[in-house]
Amino acid sequence: MIDDGKPLFVQIAEQVEDSIVDGSLAEETQAPSTTELAAFHRINPATAAKGVNMLVDKGVLYKRRGIGMFVAAGARDLLLTERRRAFALRYVQPLLVEARRIGLGPDDVANLIRAGAEPATP
Amino acid sequence: MDSVIEVRHLTKRYKDVLALDDVGFDIQRDTIYGFLGRNGAGKTTAMSILTAQNLPTSGQVRVFGEDPYENAGVLSRMCFVRESQKYPDDATPRHALASARLFFPRWDQDLADDLVEEFQLPLKRTIKKLSRGQLSAVGVIIGLASRAEITFFDEPYLGLDAVARQIFYDRLLTDYAEHPRTVLLSSHLIDEVSNLIERVLVIDAGRIIMDESTEDARAGATNVVGDAAAVERALHGREVIHRESLGRVTSVTFLGRLDDGERAALAADGLDLAPVSLQQLIVRLTQQRTAGRDAFAPASQEGSLR
Amino acid sequence: MTTLESGSVTRPAAVRNRTRNVVRLQFVNTQTFVWVPALVLAGAWVLTMLIYWMLHSAGISEVKTGGGSQAPLWYFLVVGIQAMTLTFPFSQALSLTRREFYLGSLAAAAVSGLGMSLLFTLLGLIEQATDGYGMNGYFAYLGWVWEAGPLAAGLTYFVLTMLFFIIGFWSATIYKRYGTAMLTIVLIGIGLALVGLVALVTWQQAWPEVGRWIVDTGSLGLTLWAILVSALLAAGSYLTLRRMPA
Repeated sequence: MIDDGKPLFVQIAEQVEDSIVDGSLAEETQAPSTTELAAFHRINPATAAKGVNMLVDKGVLYKRRGIGMFVAAGARDLLLTERRRAFALRYVQPLLVEARRIGLGPDDVANLIRAGAEPATP
Repeated sequence: MDSVIEVRHLTKRYKDVLALDDVGFDIQRDTIYGFLGRNGAGKTTAMSILTAQNLPTSGQVRVFGEDPYENAGVLSRMCFVRESQKYPDDATPRHALASARLFFPRWDQDLADDLVEEFQLPLKRTIKKLSRGQLSAVGVIIGLASRAEITFFDEPYLGLDAVARQIFYDRLLTDYAEHPRTVLLSSHLIDEVSNLIERVLVIDAGRIIMDESTEDARAGATNVVGDAAAVERALHGREVIHRESLGRVTSVTFLGRLDDGERAALAADGLDLAPVSLQQLIVRLTQQRTAGRDAFAPASQEGSLR
Repeated sequence: MTTLESGSVTRPAAVRNRTRNVVRLQFVNTQTFVWVPALVLAGAWVLTMLIYWMLHSAGISEVKTGGGSQAPLWYFLVVGIQAMTLTFPFSQALSLTRREFYLGSLAAAAVSGLGMSLLFTLLGLIEQATDGYGMNGYFAYLGWVWEAGPLAAGLTYFVLTMLFFIIGFWSATIYKRYGTAMLTIVLIGIGLALVGLVALVTWQQAWPEVGRWIVDTGSLGLTLWAILVSALLAAGSYLTLRRMPA
């Protein structure tokens, strides 16, 4: 579940973001606490705290004094915008690198993508 | 950051063996440390001196700002769980735990009872007759339930199976979250503990070779695999700590950080970048140093300590 | 860069009670300091009684004395060795100072030795009152030891238990700190010194004087000398222990 490529706290933050993006963690609801995250992922609480703080700095989470962390209003849109912007670099570029290696052009790739999406579209 | 331990120019010599060679480091409050290194690197010696169970040849140790030697005020705030702890001859785990309760001011009996149950420790069997894993469990329970402000675990898991080790890690984390304290965890199972520890302190042949946050340590090395010539271009004179080749493919582990731009450039060059696990990094670093030493002193003294 | 905090946060009372808790630590396992010595004493007593009874039934009615009451003393030698070799490393795991451990262990031995001396004195008083259980057989009431009264006899027995404990502890410190060879050398050295003393006395033909001195000093006087020897060995053990790695 935890891949070594990125710092652990970034991975923890991204997993919380995933839940916000897919809607399982709604805006203005309570987010998992540092302690819960640490226990669940079996990581040092300081690392979990760093991940949470990163989300606070980004405006995804905010702190309610004495209660805990909550998902900010507009957090989902914020994350969607960010992820769509990163999509090309994160997914398209590696795809094209591998395509070039095995002799597929951009059009071939586009066709493959369309074909792959077929069963899902009505 | 405030430190609870300060070590300066610490040297320990056993006859002709230098176990600690002018070592200096600080330990920060309420932090879980991985104290890592090979057998005989000096970990146990260092922890023994910090807890005043052993005496330095020279140098200075300060714990809570004081010399720990014969200092009950300082010692009572520490707990050192040894890998090969000796117990009185006919003592049982019940005796050992009852004794620990007498001396650790923050002892939590409920936690101890819970752990006894979780580790399925037979309380009435004499310690001599316990299995290696059960013996380790006695130490682990004392270490956790003592809630000492500084707790040292020296290879606490010997003989514990994967399930029992997981119990230890989970309990350590949850109890640490509720009762923050300083923990030094010495372990060979680096990958198993790498997510638990906030900082790494690596000792090799009596010297500290790494003292940084786990995250920085991890980010400080990268593995790159690909065409030999492309790999060499990518290195840019970075310090290589490991190199393997298979035909035209070369795999190199090097020290230094890469920014996103550099990553993208390397990927475009057809090179695969892989993270280096803490264990790999430490194995590589200590191997490299051993190799370096062996060039001068063929008779390595590894394992001859203690 | 660093703000160091002094050790003043600890509860001083807790620290002060630690030496007392070492006594409790030694007594956590009641076997070592209570039941085994009591059992050794009881066993020796039963055996002695059986022998006296056999002799008595065989019609031997003169005074019978035996050395059975010294049996627990030898056990204290073993307790002294174990207190050092096993309980000391454990005491270090409990974050005790060497001083706390040492004083507490001596106190534990003293508590146990006191109990044993009490039993010894009680047995002696019973023997005194019943003319050796009506068999003229004495286990604890040994004339020379009792010549200065029951208190002095009890004191002698107590000092001897402590002396044996300290000898055991002391030899174990030498062994642990310097190894087998050193312990052997020290023991041989002491042996040689004693032989030399004997040779000197013989040479000077001073045995009558020595005999007279022993009689004059009496068991109480010798006990005082034993206290001095114990104190010297105890001090020596402590100095060795202070610098010893666990």
